[in-house]
Amino acid sequence: MRRERFAKLQHQIDAHGIDGLVLMASSSVAYATGAAMPAQDGDQAALFRPVAVVAEGDSAPHLYTLHAGGVPAELPADHVHEPLFPDLDDGIDQFAAALADHFSSGARLGVDDQTHAMLRRLTDFEWIDAGAVMGAAKIVKTPDEVACIRNAQWLNELAMADTLATLRPGVRQTDLSAVFLRRAIELGAYANGIDPIWQVMAPTRDANPWTLHGDLAYPTVTTDRFLREGDVIWVDAGITWEGYASDYGRTWITSTDPEPDPKQQEHFRRWRTVVDAALEILKPGVTALQLGRAAIGANDGVRPWIEHFYLAHGVGTDSAEMPLIGTDLGEQFDERMIMQPGMVVVFEPVIWEDGAAGYRSEDIVAVTDTGWVKLSGSTYQPYGLSR
Amino acid sequence: MSPAPRDHGVLIGTMGLEDDARVDFTRLRAERRAKVLAGMQTHGIDALMLGGVGNARYVSGARQLGRAGVLPFAPVAVVVGKTGRTHLLSTWDEGVPPEIGRDDLYALKWNPANLADELAEIPGLREAQRVGTDGLNPMFAELISQRVTRAELTDAAPAMEAARRTKTADEITCLEVASAMAEAALAAMEDALTPGITERELLGVYYEAVASLGAPIAPSESVCFAVPSDGPVRFRHLASERAIRDGELVVLAPGALYAGYQAGLARTRVAGRVMSSAAMDLASRCARGMDALVAACRAGSTGADLYRAWENTGEQASVVPLAHGLGLGAEPPLIGLGRGRTARLDEGMVLCVQSWVTQDGVGACLERATLRIGGAGPEVLTRYRRP
Repeated sequence: MRRERFAKLQHQIDAHGIDGLVLMASSSVAYATGAAMPAQDGDQAALFRPVAVVAEGDSAPHLYTLHAGGVPAELPADHVHEPLFPDLDDGIDQFAAALADHFSSGARLGVDDQTHAMLRRLTDFEWIDAGAVMGAAKIVKTPDEVACIRNAQWLNELAMADTLATLRPGVRQTDLSAVFLRRAIELGAYANGIDPIWQVMAPTRDANPWTLHGDLAYPTVTTDRFLREGDVIWVDAGITWEGYASDYGRTWITSTDPEPDPKQQEHFRRWRTVVDAALEILKPGVTALQLGRAAIGANDGVRPWIEHFYLAHGVGTDSAEMPLIGTDLGEQFDERMIMQPGMVVVFEPVIWEDGAAGYRSEDIVAVTDTGWVKLSGSTYQPYGLSR
Repeated sequence: MSPAPRDHGVLIGTMGLEDDARVDFTRLRAERRAKVLAGMQTHGIDALMLGGVGNARYVSGARQLGRAGVLPFAPVAVVVGKTGRTHLLSTWDEGVPPEIGRDDLYALKWNPANLADELAEIPGLREAQRVGTDGLNPMFAELISQRVTRAELTDAAPAMEAARRTKTADEITCLEVASAMAEAALAAMEDALTPGITERELLGVYYEAVASLGAPIAPSESVCFAVPSDGPVRFRHLASERAIRDGELVVLAPGALYAGYQAGLARTRVAGRVMSSAAMDLASRCARGMDALVAACRAGSTGADLYRAWENTGEQASVVPLAHGLGLGAEPPLIGLGRGRTARLDEGMVLCVQSWVTQDGVGACLERATLRIGGAGPEVLTRYRRP
């Protein structure tokens, strides 16, 4: 898997006419090198970040890391180096010296993130944005990558089964996080990706948080809020396995007897109908625009997703990456976004009826040569089968 | 209101009290904001455009979704000197403090050009001459100069580091609350530490402990590892699935975040049986190293003093940082690994300090503490008994 990813990066380096990549963001470093690193919060992660350097034509990436235990076994010893601390001026000469080992002055290099210490000192090169190179390499997954996503999702879902079992009136949002995080790690998740979300959805738009666009706010941040009888909560969480993200989305009901009422069941069925309408046409060659239109059509012409989000997004070493479907990137973008075998698509439409909360879940599929295969589970407790 | 309580301990809790006895977050944010605006004036910066988790939180005080890892630069918070206003990338107002109005918010966009157009609407940003950022990448550098402002893009660090470097009394209280949470997590891990448990399970216990206390985001998932009593000893960051053996030394190093403020501590314990005399000797060496480092953390000292204090204990050069700043996450300076000899220590700074000693055939020992540099010397904020 790592060898295939590296070959793709080399291919994109050639295709974009650059001399190499200098990668600073965690998901890019993980993709390029396979390096494992402990999950860390924002500035802790930045100060101690690993850096990946990919030189055009090289046989392997160079990795500069503090986390020696996370270096893939096949990486040659002369490609593993001491950490660089690019956020500090102190030692930035070492970064300059490292780049001089791989590139000549004036080289065109892709970069995803730059610190001011780099901007001041690493002026010998022509820097271009690495986004296009990384995006082109990452958008289609190899079978091994798909397997990693499926396993991450499986671990996430197992941990959620145990978490759902603890949901009852009086439990706090952070209590659910406690159960979920412990179980996810015990079950084998390599790391947690985001602060798990258990957002209580008020029945009307007006009773939910104020937003700039007038549509729903989602996701709001977890607190020690008590969950109470009848609270409908939209759950979202993501862990990683072998660097690949899961994406769990479901709607739960807080109750000693969580039985959806007929209206709630209707919303669930409508959500299922919307996803099925997109899946019905999903195969290589279909555009994102066609998928979006199929979903809107199945929802009686109403866009079944929140204004600031999408019908669907991809997942990989980032929790949301290309292909994006239905965003403000616009219809022309969606028309040019053509489904290919190996793309992984997370459908997360939202059904909303003011006065009755609504329904949101996420279904993950991988596009195959002839259609798609589902990567996420097919239980939607407490929705679905009625008693 | 009554003066500050003589028993400072009443402040160390997370629940709001009806007499408002605990951290006054309105005051905390106002003091931070005043320091930032003063720093901008001192350094001739007209506006700030910030993407770092700690920086965005420092200027906005907003509760935003916690995500693991380093993300490429994006403008999450904007401060305009002329208006004194802070603007925030948030589609809704939940989690946003009251001094940031709804018209100070700008919406999440997937098309960076659309985001740039939102930024361009911020009053005072277009006319700014010098805009400080805490990072950049070629894409945003181009979008900002083409669509937002012609201002010179400069380093925000002089203004932000000047503000963040020393902590206000309210910030120290937050760090003490975070310290107490980390201590609780250490107690939970110590209780769970028996032969046969895995590092992964201990990480699960850690997560459950901090999340149950209302703080589910880990500063780092690097919180525990067993040290082999034979063969080479390495500092490891990633939890393994191997069962911990009877008599092995185990590093327990939990951190915690309260209102974004990070504290952490570490102790090394033996699994199962009582510590051998060789392990006790190692623990004593570790404690001596720690005491020497802590004693060197005085106002007016430099990083070189910490290096010297460490060398004077007779220990080899440490393979882990001797110290780094703490506040809203990890902060400069980084002292150790060849960096930070000239870093100056001032009263009011908070540091993470750590002592790591090894002995072939016995194992290794880590102590870590969070301390404030006080006027009369170092004040250790984290408490935990030594073996």
